[in-house]
Amino acid sequence: MRSLLHPNHWPLWIVIMLVAAALLLPFVIPWTYDQIDWDAVRAPAFTGSHLLGTDEIGRDRLARLAAGTRITIMVAIAAALVSLVVGIAWGATAGWVGGKIDEAMMRFVDALYALPFMFIVILLMVIFGRSILLVFVGIGLVEWLTMARVVRGQVMALKQRPFILAAEAAGTKPLTIVIKHILPNIAGVALAYLMLTVPQVVMVESFLSFLGLGVQEPLTSLGILVKEGADDMDVTPLGLLLPGGALVLILVCLTIEGERLRDKYS
Amino acid sequence: MSLYSLRNLAIEIADQQLVEGVSLEVEAGQCTAIIGASGSGKSLTCLTPFGLNSGQASGEMLLDGIDLSTTSAEEMRKARSQLTGFIFQQPLTALTPHLTVGAQLKEAAAQGDIVLDRADIIQKLERVGLSRADEKLDQFPHRLSGGERQRVLIAAAIAHRPKLLIADEPTSALDASLRHEIMCLLDDLRAEHGLGMLLVSHDIASVEGHADQLVVMDQGAMVESGPVAKVIANPKQDYTRRLIAATPRLSESAPVLPKTGKTMLETKEVCVEFPKPGWRRGKISAIQDANISVHQGEALAIVGGSGSGKSTLGRAIAGIGPLTSGSIEWEREKLPKRRSRNLAMRASIQPVFQDPIASLDPQWKVSNIVAEPLKNFQPEMLQTDRQIRVRNALNEVGLDEGYLNRNPASLSGGQAQRVAIARAIVAEPDLLVLDEATSALDPLVGAEILKLLAQLQCDKRLSIIFITHDIASARRLCHRIVVLDKGHIVDEGNMGDILKNPQSEITKKLIAVS
Repeated sequence: MRSLLHPNHWPLWIVIMLVAAALLLPFVIPWTYDQIDWDAVRAPAFTGSHLLGTDEIGRDRLARLAAGTRITIMVAIAAALVSLVVGIAWGATAGWVGGKIDEAMMRFVDALYALPFMFIVILLMVIFGRSILLVFVGIGLVEWLTMARVVRGQVMALKQRPFILAAEAAGTKPLTIVIKHILPNIAGVALAYLMLTVPQVVMVESFLSFLGLGVQEPLTSLGILVKEGADDMDVTPLGLLLPGGALVLILVCLTIEGERLRDKYS
Repeated sequence: MSLYSLRNLAIEIADQQLVEGVSLEVEAGQCTAIIGASGSGKSLTCLTPFGLNSGQASGEMLLDGIDLSTTSAEEMRKARSQLTGFIFQQPLTALTPHLTVGAQLKEAAAQGDIVLDRADIIQKLERVGLSRADEKLDQFPHRLSGGERQRVLIAAAIAHRPKLLIADEPTSALDASLRHEIMCLLDDLRAEHGLGMLLVSHDIASVEGHADQLVVMDQGAMVESGPVAKVIANPKQDYTRRLIAATPRLSESAPVLPKTGKTMLETKEVCVEFPKPGWRRGKISAIQDANISVHQGEALAIVGGSGSGKSTLGRAIAGIGPLTSGSIEWEREKLPKRRSRNLAMRASIQPVFQDPIASLDPQWKVSNIVAEPLKNFQPEMLQTDRQIRVRNALNEVGLDEGYLNRNPASLSGGQAQRVAIARAIVAEPDLLVLDEATSALDPLVGAEILKLLAQLQCDKRLSIIFITHDIASARRLCHRIVVLDKGHIVDEGNMGDILKNPQSEITKKLIAVS
């Protein structure tokens, strides 16, 4: 944990500060994200208490930016965790059991890979209606495929190592071997891919929101803000630049951090 | 004047002095060998003067009249590519994977502006003892066996007719009988072309009879040098003496072994088959009809070359590998297959592996690693009692309490192997299956581990199955020997009888090369 304080982890710190700001801002600014100020519709920056101005129906831009970042990060972390749990369970089982079961499980993953996943998510949204839970589940269930493949490869390599054989000879039960010997040894790689999954999910979520399939108004996310900003671009570029900038910053920082971790562990 | 000479060589990497005060000479047509444990700087001494790693070499370095310390980059390239040939330890990684054997050789010859046609290449490959050279010419390196790859590498190293051959552990990745063949081939080539050779090895026995001059290195410094026979017969330094004493030889007197008791383990017609890799049908037979027995307090050596199935047999006995048919009996009771063995059966047979670092979980502390068998086999044991047992086991293998909280990554090879042995003996088993337990270690460390095993065998009346490719080290510990070849038992009997009167060709060959 101490190593996280090292200056090399600056991308992670930028993201953490961004999220902290998004969490703390509601306590500081007098407006909520769905509150309309009828006196200041489409106000430019620094009008009264609106630090970054208001949007086309008079909602405070800073409050909406903070709310959007919160939702986007929340969806991303939740979906990445779903993919982590499903991916590790699936990949570790396939890699450990091996043989025909492994074949079958991995062909299933291949089949899912072959499906146009964006299309599936959109289909789910259309059938079950728009709900934030469905955004979580839908994205998480698609993103676990890579994790499963990575974890399976790691488990298969570890399975041949003498210390696993020694544990078997020492009478350790197979499930205990997986939990105590194998999982701790793949934790580093899994963490690295988790870090890379988060920006991917951010991207998917923003894309869905941009299409109008993400979270429901008046709740907002960075993707929705970008879309609103793009619609209003000719009046003020601020509405597009702010959420777009936040999105880019999060994506770049998390990707750098994730790739560094991946290089370290594999 | 000698072909290649180093005087007072010092090597620095990143401001660290790694080698100091090495002087040696290589005469044309003769061989100078550098011997030392891992980390003694012997490979650095070979490669750094040619600029082949990041080190900075200083001192006098003369190759065929060229001063390597002052020469220009262009001259250095010439010295490296035209005057010198290199042979490395890992023959697969030293060959370019996407070039065929023939293309590889052509490229090597081109350094010396020699153009080879197909017939030349075949002739060169046949010279290094590659059978069916005309077929193998068009094959990629991964299709060849380890010994064949090393032959190709040798052919490539001499294709441009260098004057100096530098061989960095050319045989240590090969098994015993191949080692001997490759060393003899190098001897012949040296005589034929008048080549000077600088040979690096960690093993005195493999150098004896092949090298003319010997240089002994320890921790970056030269300990002793001189003609091989003189240094071995009359070592001046204590380190050299210990090194020579640690190297097992068949000529040394037979050790006194503890008495043996009743039969503990018996295998009956054990067969192990593996499915062929990929989608191909059919099976590969690794072990066929193996009948062996081990008595109480007895050590049995299972000896064979690589691919003889000796590890497979050991794993089947220890219950950590597959068993296709046949039965394994422990005190006249049949042991079930791998996954269905119960804890009591597991507790009596424990394995120790070749690679000591890989056999310890990198995430665990030494105390937890050693305690793992106790937790499973005697779950009702109190934690304080368990800690005492762990400490006692570590003491028995010669490690003190300071090691309890260490991580495997911070241990040396010898220390890690001691921890692995402590884990194996902590639950007081009756049989240890040692799978090449000493062959990945430096000779001095390996000899100490062998001594430790002999001690444990005496104290605890342990039975031991000692799997190895090296008869000489097996003889220091074992009462009886089983020789395996391609999955069949070809020789079996008391160690002394087999050594005096081997039945099969394989055994004769293994004895001849030890």
